[in-house]
Amino acid sequence: MRSIIRLVWFDLKHELSPPVWIIFEWAGFALQLYIYGALISQLVTTMTDYLQFYAVGFVVMMTFEIGSHTGRHFVEHAHEGRLPYLLSLPIPRWKLFLAQALQGGTELALMITLPLVVTLAVIGNFTLISVAAAVGTLFWLGFGVAGLMLGLSFIAFKSSDVYSAIVSALSTLIIRFSTVLYPFIFLPPSYASAAFFSPLTYGADLVRLFLGFDPGILLDPRYAVAALAALAVSTLGLGVFLLQRLVEGVKSG
Amino acid sequence: MYAVETKSLSKRYGKTTALKDLDFTLNEGEIMVLLGPNGSGKTTLLLILATVLKPTSGQARVMGFDVTTQSTRVREVLGIAFQEARGFWRHKPAEILRFHAAMCGVAERKRDELIERVLKDLELWDAKNKLFMHLSGGQAKRLEVAKLLIQRPSFAIFDEPSSQVDLRGKRTIWAHILKLREEGSTILVATNEVREAEYLADRVTVLDQGQSVICDTVRRLKDSIAGGDIVELELEGSDTTKLEEELKQIEGTVRLVTLKENQFKAYVSMAEAWVPKMTNLCYKRNARVLSVRVTEPSLDDVFLHFTGRALEAAQVA
Repeated sequence: MRSIIRLVWFDLKHELSPPVWIIFEWAGFALQLYIYGALISQLVTTMTDYLQFYAVGFVVMMTFEIGSHTGRHFVEHAHEGRLPYLLSLPIPRWKLFLAQALQGGTELALMITLPLVVTLAVIGNFTLISVAAAVGTLFWLGFGVAGLMLGLSFIAFKSSDVYSAIVSALSTLIIRFSTVLYPFIFLPPSYASAAFFSPLTYGADLVRLFLGFDPGILLDPRYAVAALAALAVSTLGLGVFLLQRLVEGVKSG
Repeated sequence: MYAVETKSLSKRYGKTTALKDLDFTLNEGEIMVLLGPNGSGKTTLLLILATVLKPTSGQARVMGFDVTTQSTRVREVLGIAFQEARGFWRHKPAEILRFHAAMCGVAERKRDELIERVLKDLELWDAKNKLFMHLSGGQAKRLEVAKLLIQRPSFAIFDEPSSQVDLRGKRTIWAHILKLREEGSTILVATNEVREAEYLADRVTVLDQGQSVICDTVRRLKDSIAGGDIVELELEGSDTTKLEEELKQIEGTVRLVTLKENQFKAYVSMAEAWVPKMTNLCYKRNARVLSVRVTEPSLDDVFLHFTGRALEAAQVA
């Protein structure tokens, strides 16, 4: 366990001194919520307090983007030449993979904390248990997305262009075709069918359920729990498998 | 048991074959130098042994552990200094070494003292708090070597350990590699620098196009070249025509070239055996030897002899 913590901390301490990137993320969230969110919530009249719905959605979007960053980070390691070094360290591959995922999780925790607190303040009606459940859901979603992106990152060892194209397309589709910004019951049938395939749908609706939103506008939480568990387990499992079986540091003569 | 053993080891990248059915052994406590031009498969072999790359086919064992099925055990006994030290742009040398020492299980109480000593030995002490991205190429290379000097693994791999390093730095690195061997490590060095190979090697494996061309001690490799030693001699007097014919008949003479009337250049197999025979002959014929100069072949000549290409030319190709 100490080797995993060392690996995580070795990179993380540099990103925290000074923590400019975290402050920028928080500033971005504040601007998005208090300018765009406030405006759009005035235009949406079919829902009361759309701002609350929007705030949760934006936190879920941030979770997705930070999880994606973990996969990109791994690809950067490969292209900067650090991956061969990491692969030569005297630790099992699964520990290396877990360290990458945990680093993503820690970054997620650091970036999400303040936006989540603000979101809770906007909602204003929650219990300690509901908040804990919502945080747990976000982490589980973050792990799943990080696993997905780490799994996809192996494409980048063949072609970083193909990887970038796939991740961009996937991110666009996963965010847009989800219930992050729109309640499920208001979606047109074709759009709703697509939303079933987005992990963000399950993440967003489960967090909203725990934070006291009307269950009538959300997906059945049993589906959400099952989908998120399946996502995290399958993608992290796939990532470990690929790392052990396929990943190689560099091509050289 | 060999420290390293490969059997029919092959590695392909798509249609390119980097290693082709390589059989290779390395004895415990030995320094083996892999000599070959860029693209000859040296780095690929090192990375397979370090479990960074996976072989396409064949077997490789390090200290008895299979690199494919027991990769973690392999990594526990080896350390590798990569050809290019990269990827830690925002870290400082001291913290990179501290991290490496901790990951490799160097006892905490010894770490700082050991790091200080190695940084000073490799003239990196003044740069210990510079960001990695601000180090010169030579400093970054020395830092890469420093990792192994701190780790002191049973099996140490150095990929071109002194490239980009100045002459004094090269000598320091070579001295430390030799010391590491004295302390019990088995060492594998890949290089395309003939001087480095001659300085370090107990044995040299010449690699070309993914295959081992020959493997032996430096001395034997040089001796194996017929006509590889060159003896330049100058005799007294002007009429040496008859003697010239007799010099050509000495056992081991491959070719004799007349430079001037009384100056010759002899290409011989083993100069140490040929020169006494030559002086005996001259003594019998009352021909006084004014000067003798012996030059032996370099490993570049060895490479040329066994591959048909000069090392430098192969590099360009």
